[in-house]
Amino acid sequence: MKYLTYVWRNARRNPARSLLTIASTAVCLFLMMILLSFFAINDEVSGSVGVFNRVCVLNANGFAGRIPIAFVNEIAQIDGVRAATPFSWFGGKYHDEILPFAQFGVDADVAFAIMNEFSIPADQLEAFKKTKNGCVIGRKLANERKLKVGDPLPLERDLYPVDLDLTVQGVYDGPTNRDLRMCLFHWGYLDELLKRANAGTTGVAVSGNAGMVFVKCESAARMAALCKTIDDRFRNSDSPTRTQTEEAFGKMFAEMLGDLKGMIRVIGLAVVFSLLCVAANSMAMSMRERTTEVAVLKAIGFGRRLVLALVLTEAVLVAGIGGIVGSFGCKLLCDVVDLSRYSAGFLPFYYIPWPIALEGLAVALAIGFVSGLLPALRAANSSVVDGLRRVI
Amino acid sequence: MTKGSHSIELKGVDKEYHRDAFTIPVLTSLDLEVAEGEYLALMGPSGSGKTTLLNLIAGLDRATRGEVIVHGQDLGRLSESEITRWRADNVGFIFQTYNLIPVLTAFENVELPLLLTHLSRRARRENVATALRVVGLSGREDHYPRQLSGGQEQRVAIARAIVTDPYLLVADEPTGDLDRATAGEILELLEQLNREFQKTIVMVTHDPLAAERAGRILHLDKGQLVGDVIQGGRVSAAS
Repeated sequence: MKYLTYVWRNARRNPARSLLTIASTAVCLFLMMILLSFFAINDEVSGSVGVFNRVCVLNANGFAGRIPIAFVNEIAQIDGVRAATPFSWFGGKYHDEILPFAQFGVDADVAFAIMNEFSIPADQLEAFKKTKNGCVIGRKLANERKLKVGDPLPLERDLYPVDLDLTVQGVYDGPTNRDLRMCLFHWGYLDELLKRANAGTTGVAVSGNAGMVFVKCESAARMAALCKTIDDRFRNSDSPTRTQTEEAFGKMFAEMLGDLKGMIRVIGLAVVFSLLCVAANSMAMSMRERTTEVAVLKAIGFGRRLVLALVLTEAVLVAGIGGIVGSFGCKLLCDVVDLSRYSAGFLPFYYIPWPIALEGLAVALAIGFVSGLLPALRAANSSVVDGLRRVI
Repeated sequence: MTKGSHSIELKGVDKEYHRDAFTIPVLTSLDLEVAEGEYLALMGPSGSGKTTLLNLIAGLDRATRGEVIVHGQDLGRLSESEITRWRADNVGFIFQTYNLIPVLTAFENVELPLLLTHLSRRARRENVATALRVVGLSGREDHYPRQLSGGQEQRVAIARAIVTDPYLLVADEPTGDLDRATAGEILELLEQLNREFQKTIVMVTHDPLAAERAGRILHLDKGQLVGDVIQGGRVSAAS
């Protein structure tokens, strides 16, 4: 402790250099926090849905394939299924917004029985069910777009050749780790518009497609068997299916990004290495300027181990400050600013988990230690006589 | 050990440096005895081995051959860590360019050697205050080296050298960077430390006026003692 004054003063000796080292560490860690948290949150979301006993039915060829709407009723009749709804992504543009929020065509009668973690006032749900072009939206979406019940919610065509003129009939709420930015509308309304758009054309029939079927099961124990039953049922149809739990579906969705996780880890290692070089160069420059001072310290009795410890402490201190600013600063920012709104519905929420923030700090401290090791060893092993000769 | 007995003894000391394939002799067959409480000035032309001799006596460097015994301790027998500890306990250093730590205040600079001891914070504070009072710098504790004159910086350096109450003070051109008047004050201070506190002082200097303040002057040339003068009369003239 009694040496901390000396270490702290040395860390501040060249403020510009120290600040640049701190800034480079902080910025790199900031970006790493954002990227690593993305996957951590995705895993958390995927893992948290297991309790809801839901399975997702897709065309065996993936999202590009059709799921005929007739399948929904068939699936709903299977033993062990409590309810099933079409779940059709629309992806329309709201005004001039570039990133769409999540928009799904559902069966209003059963949607909230299936997604029972969400709550909605009974009168609003009734109004939604009765209004053909009605929709319900999540609390966050309502707050961010300043939307309330009765407001129009026009969605401009993008994937489909139709526009939706929706009216907000209700606002649902739910746990913070669930998606509160969805817009749920009647699948039938979309299908009707598509039928009209297709009338008299020879284009690909896009109507009658459920997109995906979202199924609520009676119990978790029967989910695996149910997935097999559903797939067996449609194996010989024009649209064979692939059924999986909601949790597996979430992970598959993330895997569609490719080995992004691996790529980010490689990029992260490259960033750590370049940070290491920056910090090591900064520390080495600092120690070269202090050759004589180190010699004086050793002359008056500072041993090799003590010199080694002082230099390492200084390097760890500078990198640690960068780590604290980068990791905890990023966490604080994400706690204040909800970055999930920029994920186009991919993530329902965004924050930096404590383990990730602490991992970032640990990486910074390790960078400080490793970057300081060589200069510290040099200082510890330097010759007192040679060091003093520079000035004597 | 009482004043008059030998506190520094060099017996048959050789010192060589190796530069690439060359061996450069710096000191050759040097014998020297310095009494406790003696004030010794080392003089000689550049390259004569003055600083090397000083470094050997202070335990900063090791003799290639021969024995260097200081205060009864054969320095050649000490390990690296032992000799570092020995320096901390026994030697105070005064350099030509002061070599204060620029980011520390005068107080903190003087306190540095005490950090190696087990003294409490309060005891360190008292010792530092005493050392600064001895060198006449009370009231300058919070000044950084850049806020002090050259003479004041050297006084802080002297305070740092004496704060642990070492047995031996070594000074390498302590007045080399100072004007005549300030140099006189520093030399006066060294004399006072020798006279009142019985510090053994070994000082390297080019300045005959500075050397005259010492009780004894050694002349070196090409690594050998060529003159040994006790102020007031020539004692010996080594060949």
